[in-house]
Amino acid sequence: MEWAIASAAFLASAVEFVEAFTIVLVVGVTINWRSSLVGAFAAAATLAVIVGTLGVALVKYVPLNDLRIFVGIILILFGLKWLKKAILRYSGLKALHDEEAIFEETMAEVRARGETIAPRIHPFGVALSYKAVLLEGLEVAFIVITFGGSIKTASSNGIGSAALGAAIAGILVITAGALIKAPLTKVPENTLKFVVGIMLTSFGTFWAAEGFNYNWPLSDAFIPILAVIFLLASYLLVTFLKQQKRRQLTASKEQVMEEVRP
Amino acid sequence: MKTLKAIYNFIVGDMIILIGILIVAIALWLISYVGALAPLRVAIGPILIVAALIVLSATLYREARGKR
Repeated sequence: MEWAIASAAFLASAVEFVEAFTIVLVVGVTINWRSSLVGAFAAAATLAVIVGTLGVALVKYVPLNDLRIFVGIILILFGLKWLKKAILRYSGLKALHDEEAIFEETMAEVRARGETIAPRIHPFGVALSYKAVLLEGLEVAFIVITFGGSIKTASSNGIGSAALGAAIAGILVITAGALIKAPLTKVPENTLKFVVGIMLTSFGTFWAAEGFNYNWPLSDAFIPILAVIFLLASYLLVTFLKQQKRRQLTASKEQVMEEVRP
Repeated sequence: MKTLKAIYNFIVGDMIILIGILIVAIALWLISYVGALAPLRVAIGPILIVAALIVLSATLYREARGKR
């Protein structure tokens, strides 16, 4: 057993597991757990096939940077779409006659009656969860292979130690995530959707730039900084749009008053 | 055509976001692979952040104007 390799793989994999689990968690809370888990399990199965087929040759054949660019760009597209909707809602510009709002109202009524609706599989949720788990899972596999492959002695197996470190990290992250799942469900849905938009855009920006061989300062620790940047920008945009709306209302009131005046 | 439209609506559903981000991706790809643009490689991260914010502001501005 190589403890140095196991601990290095544990720490590096923990970061990747947290990133993947964050997306699975937000999809579960905002869309539904069924879609989130279907995506996560499908990705785990794909990973098992890829790792099982390619083994240590995985590092040679999977173009991780291309995958990062693809997943990153898709996440930015998804994230900006959600962020746009959330900002429009917060600024009061989103139309009241909204299909999603009607659906949410219906769901609330059904819940109020004490009935339940079996959650349907939501392709958007499945895709998000799948992509995040597949990308981060591949990164964990790369960590295990590269860290583990760096040490080969007659008495110990580097890959085995690295895999053990990664497995412990995975179990710990999933346990911690299961504990914070309950408090998250108490956060209002709109706020959660806004947070999802911020997170998807942050992760997407981080991964896409990494795919273009950009090294972020502080490495993975830069993701929260990205989230803060997008959060502040969204706050400024909401404030600007609210002012615009107020100005429009004042202008239209004045116009009506002038028309009414004899 | 219907399938393409369904995919478009599923992924983004907004032309400004789609075209904006695709242009940024192409620009970043050029920065990464064209030797003459190599000095810009250190700024890929900031460029992507600023571009995403510009795209978001542009689509929101269009929505705000459309509501008038």
